[in-house]
Amino acid sequence: MSIMIDIILAVLAIYLALQCLFAPRLTQTVFLFFAFGLALALAWVRLGAVDVAITEAAIASGFLGVLFLDALRDFSLAPPLKWDNLEVVHSSLATKNPKSLFLPRLALMLGLGLFLLIALEAVWKIPEGGGLTAAAEALLPESGVEHPVTAVLLNFRAYDTWLELGVILLGLLATFAVGGIKIYRKPPVVADDILLRQVILFFTPVLFLFGAFLLYFGKSGPGGAFQAAVLWGAIGILLHLGGRPVFSMIPRWLGQLSLTVGLGFFLILGFFLLAGGATLFEYPPAYAGVLILIIETLAAISIAAALTAIFANLNQMNKEESNQIESTN
Amino acid sequence: METYQIYSLTSAVLFVIGMGGVFVSRHFIKKIIATIIMGGGVFLVFVSLAERDALTFADPVPHALVITGIVVAVASAAFALALARRIYQLTGEESFTNDK
Repeated sequence: MSIMIDIILAVLAIYLALQCLFAPRLTQTVFLFFAFGLALALAWVRLGAVDVAITEAAIASGFLGVLFLDALRDFSLAPPLKWDNLEVVHSSLATKNPKSLFLPRLALMLGLGLFLLIALEAVWKIPEGGGLTAAAEALLPESGVEHPVTAVLLNFRAYDTWLELGVILLGLLATFAVGGIKIYRKPPVVADDILLRQVILFFTPVLFLFGAFLLYFGKSGPGGAFQAAVLWGAIGILLHLGGRPVFSMIPRWLGQLSLTVGLGFFLILGFFLLAGGATLFEYPPAYAGVLILIIETLAAISIAAALTAIFANLNQMNKEESNQIESTN
Repeated sequence: METYQIYSLTSAVLFVIGMGGVFVSRHFIKKIIATIIMGGGVFLVFVSLAERDALTFADPVPHALVITGIVVAVASAAFALALARRIYQLTGEESFTNDK
């Protein structure tokens, strides 16, 4: 019976992935992408990876879906002159000799089919290594937390998590560089909507509390810095969409501090541990629990700030572009 | 057939679907989504093998790697999206064309 659920979920995920890529309209693609992420999250719950499921549903499906939805506004709801362009592209495609496209397509299908067979065989025959479960289980009491995934993320492999904070910050800087750093100046004008204001008033405390709960609960169960960060980032996005962009309301240094505090605290802590004769991120077992909680809180603040800033920056790009189009018209 | 076997086979299929999508789809957003589907396939292998190696709990190391990986994938996808929108902003094109 449980095998049936797994098979249905697997078929659903594959079907949604195919539909997502072959949907004729971009709007359908984005909404099917939401559905695909949620199907994958269910698959992860079935595999016993609840942490991964929360992260997937929140970041990969939720946050990224929001970014795509935001991008849809300039791609699919483009001004009419875009349609002429599209038709030109289509007609040039149609007039292109169909035979010249047939051979590459055949080669692509053959190659993909062959690759699929190889991948299936490789996955089927992955040797049994035993994994690191036993090692993690043996060291769990020393890690300062009870949940094995949190222990690995923030204690055993803290180095990875530290660098990951750096990657997120780098992603933010890269989007800044692409868009040009002229954001956070003037707050976007949003009509004063009673419903929107009520939604913000209602959801901000709920999201904040739920995030804080997930953060603290990460000690003993599924949850932790990333899951909490997405919920807190959602507050920032909600406020931004409601015409109260967080980064233009708080002083500049505070924004910069909240973006870098996770990475910075990790770095300073690692430095002091090294200076004290331990290896990098080798917490003394007596203080490990407290240290992990502090790191998680600061990391969550940093990630939430970075997600908000990425969204705000991409959203702002949209505004500038529509302004440009209006001015050129 | 075990649960993890179903999902590890699914992961190979998802990876190939994503890879085909990267080649076939024209629009920037579809290409980015295709790479994310590829990534989903890779993550699924990790988690299904973690389930295979479970003792009292599933292997936490692949779980931690996948959580890290998801966040990094999202950061890079956001960057790709910023690039795509900038290209669209500057040239008005929404896919790679060889015409010009």
